Amino acid sequence: MDIEDKIKELARRNLEAELGGGQRRIDQQHAKGKMTARERIDYLLDPGSFEELDKFVVHRCHDFGMDKKKIPGDGVVTGYGTINGRQVFIFSQDFTVFGGSLSGPFGEKVCKIMDLAIKSGAPVIGLNDSGGARIQEGVVSLGSYGEIFKRNVWASGVVPQISVIMGPCAGGAVYSPALTDFIIMVKKTSNMFITGPQVIKAVTSEEVTPEALGGAMTHNAKSGVAHFAEDSDQAALDRVKELLGFLPQNFREMPPVIECTDDPERKDKSLNKVIPTNPRVPYDIKEIIRTVLDNNLFLEVHRHWAKNMVVGFGRLNGMVVGIVANQPRFLAGCLDIDASMKCARFVRTCDAFNIPLVTFVDVPGFLPGVNQEYGGIIKHGAKIIYAYCEATVPKLTVVTRKAYGGAYDVMSSKHHDADINYAYPTAEIAVMGPEGAVNIIFRKEIEEADDPEATRERLVEEYRNNFASPFKAAELGYIDQIISPENTRPRLIKALMMLQKKRGSFPERRHGNIPL
Amino acid sequence: MFEKVLIANRGEIAVRVIRTCKRLGIRTVAVFSEIDSRSLHVREADEAVFLGDSRSEESYLNKQKIIDAALSHQCEGIHPGYGFLSENSEFAEMVSRSGLIFIGPPATVIATLGDKIAAKNLAEKAGLPFVPGHARPLTDLDEAMVIAEDLGYPVLLKPAAGGGGKGMRTVFSRDELAPALKASQEETRKAFGDDKIFIERFMTNPRHIEIQIMADQFGNVIHLGERECSIQRRYQKIIEESPSPAVDDTLRGEMGDLACALSREAGYTNAGTVEFILDHEGNFYFLEMNTRLQVEHPVTEMVTSLDLVELQLSVAAGERLPFDQDGVRFKGWALEARICAEDPALGFMPSTGMITRYAAPKGRHIRLDSGIEAGSLVSVYYDSMLAKMVAWGETREEARNSLIHALNRYHLEGVISNTNLANAILNHPAFIKGEMSTGFIEEYFDGGKMKAAPSLESLYFMVMAATLVYHNRKNLVRDSLQPMVARVGQAHEQKAWHHYMVKDEDNTFNIQLLEGPSSKNSWTIRVNDGQYEVITPDFEFYRRRLKLMINGERHYFYLQYRENFIWVAFCGITRTFEIYSPREWELAKYMPKVKREAPEDVLFSPMPGLVVEIEVEEGERVYRGQDLVIIESMKMESGVSSPCDGEVEEIRVQSGQAVETGDVLITFNI
Repeated sequence: MDIEDKIKELARRNLEAELGGGQRRIDQQHAKGKMTARERIDYLLDPGSFEELDKFVVHRCHDFGMDKKKIPGDGVVTGYGTINGRQVFIFSQDFTVFGGSLSGPFGEKVCKIMDLAIKSGAPVIGLNDSGGARIQEGVVSLGSYGEIFKRNVWASGVVPQISVIMGPCAGGAVYSPALTDFIIMVKKTSNMFITGPQVIKAVTSEEVTPEALGGAMTHNAKSGVAHFAEDSDQAALDRVKELLGFLPQNFREMPPVIECTDDPERKDKSLNKVIPTNPRVPYDIKEIIRTVLDNNLFLEVHRHWAKNMVVGFGRLNGMVVGIVANQPRFLAGCLDIDASMKCARFVRTCDAFNIPLVTFVDVPGFLPGVNQEYGGIIKHGAKIIYAYCEATVPKLTVVTRKAYGGAYDVMSSKHHDADINYAYPTAEIAVMGPEGAVNIIFRKEIEEADDPEATRERLVEEYRNNFASPFKAAELGYIDQIISPENTRPRLIKALMMLQKKRGSFPERRHGNIPL
Repeated sequence: MFEKVLIANRGEIAVRVIRTCKRLGIRTVAVFSEIDSRSLHVREADEAVFLGDSRSEESYLNKQKIIDAALSHQCEGIHPGYGFLSENSEFAEMVSRSGLIFIGPPATVIATLGDKIAAKNLAEKAGLPFVPGHARPLTDLDEAMVIAEDLGYPVLLKPAAGGGGKGMRTVFSRDELAPALKASQEETRKAFGDDKIFIERFMTNPRHIEIQIMADQFGNVIHLGERECSIQRRYQKIIEESPSPAVDDTLRGEMGDLACALSREAGYTNAGTVEFILDHEGNFYFLEMNTRLQVEHPVTEMVTSLDLVELQLSVAAGERLPFDQDGVRFKGWALEARICAEDPALGFMPSTGMITRYAAPKGRHIRLDSGIEAGSLVSVYYDSMLAKMVAWGETREEARNSLIHALNRYHLEGVISNTNLANAILNHPAFIKGEMSTGFIEEYFDGGKMKAAPSLESLYFMVMAATLVYHNRKNLVRDSLQPMVARVGQAHEQKAWHHYMVKDEDNTFNIQLLEGPSSKNSWTIRVNDGQYEVITPDFEFYRRRLKLMINGERHYFYLQYRENFIWVAFCGITRTFEIYSPREWELAKYMPKVKREAPEDVLFSPMPGLVVEIEVEEGERVYRGQDLVIIESMKMESGVSSPCDGEVEEIRVQSGQAVETGDVLITFNI
């Protein structure tokens, strides 16, 4: 073989590897409305930026006739490249090769780029489309899963990890995405579950479709496992790009600041009218959020789950902020178990990646109920406290309307080290709502009155006027400033600029013990 | 003249009347309902009086409360605006009896002209022409046959009683007459307990022309020319103009004289409008007289340089008209577009909500009469008209272009409006030629969209706007990531053609951008086979409006964007463009066509609570997003909205019932 032939041989092998499981399987993949592993990478990364690793890796299994079947790459495409010029590491499971099943070498390839990502401080993007463990490999496959999970944990809070579920993801395989920061699922073509419909049928005789058991909407609306549900591979990959725009490369860096194309001093008169005059009438907190953010752009996370809490990303003066807000339109904005978990998780995600938090508060309290208590609202609610108290990123709070009782405390209050706390003049900050408070404080007086109802009404009105306002809290310094709603954007931006160099620290310890 | 008047109205007309009052030094008192407490007209007035609940009967239709408010605030007169109580003779009577001046015609005249038969008799006396027909109700089918033959088909069967088109039937041939007459009689008997039917010639797609008149209390009556209001949907005008392209000086004189004659005959004072229809041969026929200031009065004001509200006030105050017919001077052309909160795509269904963004264009010869601002609430309680955009020009073309520019720059978000429909009408070739009729919308539009494809050039312009924004936004994010990019051996980026593929529902466009050599704001752009020189402003992406100089001409676009989806509105054309790099484009072909998920036909309760109100009935047609059930939970009332477009099949709950999360509230037939 002379050098020319050797180069030709390389080209031939490259082509062979790039064809994965063969044209027939590629066509099948397309017929399902899915892209192939390589096409996905191609779509996501900047043109020509992908550098592949381990292209010629094959499995080492000799059992069950596997030694006759070897495909270079062994079912996963791994490497690094750039998205909008910024470095990322990526693995893309190839369903056309052994159904994307995970072998020992498959796992080693994924681990290799994860190790590189942790060392070089760049995000990891995992595109999942796999039938699960490669049964023929037996325990080797399990070992590989374990190695990946471990690296997911090691990378957690070091570099952003984004998982896109673009096909099946079953059994133990789900735990790799579950350990990452964000899960994006493609509707109809993806599902996730620990035990599939057949096992469930065998064990409990329940019949359920894969889509109903673990489809995109199940995990986006019911379980809260996934953060985004997208219509197609393409939309899911577009979402990765959008999401990445809000995240830093790693925990030591700041998220990308972009040139602000929206007036930082922009006032919005409509905000003066968003809050209804009647405290019982709901409004959409997202109106306020969008109005305040740069260009009205708000990327909502967990849009379908626990709708009484709204979380997501946006920018203020070009700087990324994480938004947490009670949503009066659902359950009056009450805190329940799901909302608590959604909030706490998001706050910790932001804190891990240096994303300042802006919290909009309109919360009447925790949701009462037997199921809530049995379900452990105590420990789940505690997660919000834990997450906020632990967060050292800049924390800004705006009380738009209600902030009652314990819920006042937990929602980024001054006492939990929020840096700047604003309140609208419409805020009602008190230990409890006027009706409840009056019944307790003036119980005797009301009982002994000639006309108890009238007396109660009078007292409620008095209480409302005197205590259901932001002024008591402002007198105590719990609220730094009462602001006119139209000024929300400029005031938040000024506070954010002031806090740009904020550093926080904690007593030395192994690590905290968040109530899980 | 008055010292102080009360304006018994809301919205743009209240604001507009207040403006003239201010100019004349007259103090104003506004009235408002609960939901209007923070409205513009309340703020603009010197004083404001709360009337009551949001429902009109409790507020703007509550005669006594309004009169009491006027008396207790020392007003001398009440201006009724249009709609509400403006043509209510009882109200006018009550106002006069309480010692106040009703700024409008006398109550008796309102009553007479409001009565179909009485008005017809008056008009007959004044010599106005009517649509050919039989003067008396039909006696039987045989008579109908003879008369119909006489008039010539098509004919219109019109019940003597009621209104709103109930019992009306158009008959196109002899065979259809018998069943139509029967149906018509039955329908009107059921609705109004009367089966008298008139017959007249059916006018196919006529024009709607009206004459503005002004009369003082000394018998002086003048007319201020005509307005053409042919562009209508369901008897609701959308575009109005003065003069009309179909009316010449002779015709104007003729119609004007007759309108004045009718006003004299009726003993009319103040501002009024005589409505005619005009057929293709130039014959015109009397329809009715409106005894109030019309919505579309600004076009008359712009071509006559008069302030009709000022004239109304002075005439009502007992002053003489300051000029006679010869003193009326017409100059140029004016066009008006009504901006309504309604969705042309959903059969003009009203759209409600809060106006989240609002920006109005300013300019010479542009007038915007508006009752809204950012933060205004558009509620279900009142008329959906929010504002009127009016433009003046030396010629019709000048006025038309100026109005199009103004609408392209108009910015309204939060509720769905007909702005783009109005704009599309103004851009329609038939409209440009002045070929209008009351059937215009039906003929040229479907579901609020123009039936004919828009011009390719307009689409190219829109594609350029979308791609420029996309490209520049992408660069912005790219540049911001530069600090994160490893600097080793980075190749210098060269100026080159940036290539994109853009698609909307029907077309794909191949577009290439080349940044100008000197300025970053000048571009050479190729779209398919066209090449353009474009100058952009500095991009300010929070603005949704974009001004582009394309080959030296200024154009305004309105854009909304979400990643690579960009929605553009321009000259009434709206499109969502998807923008791809060539490589992305290639891969996109494997993607499934995104179909909206099959709409669910069941409405579940999203929360535990108490059903407060069910806002629909079984069998009713509902639209996705429409609030159907109000549920009180945590002392908060929330609307639960329809998951689909469909018909209500069964309502499974009743008011007062407690529901749990996931309980079925309503099922639908889709």
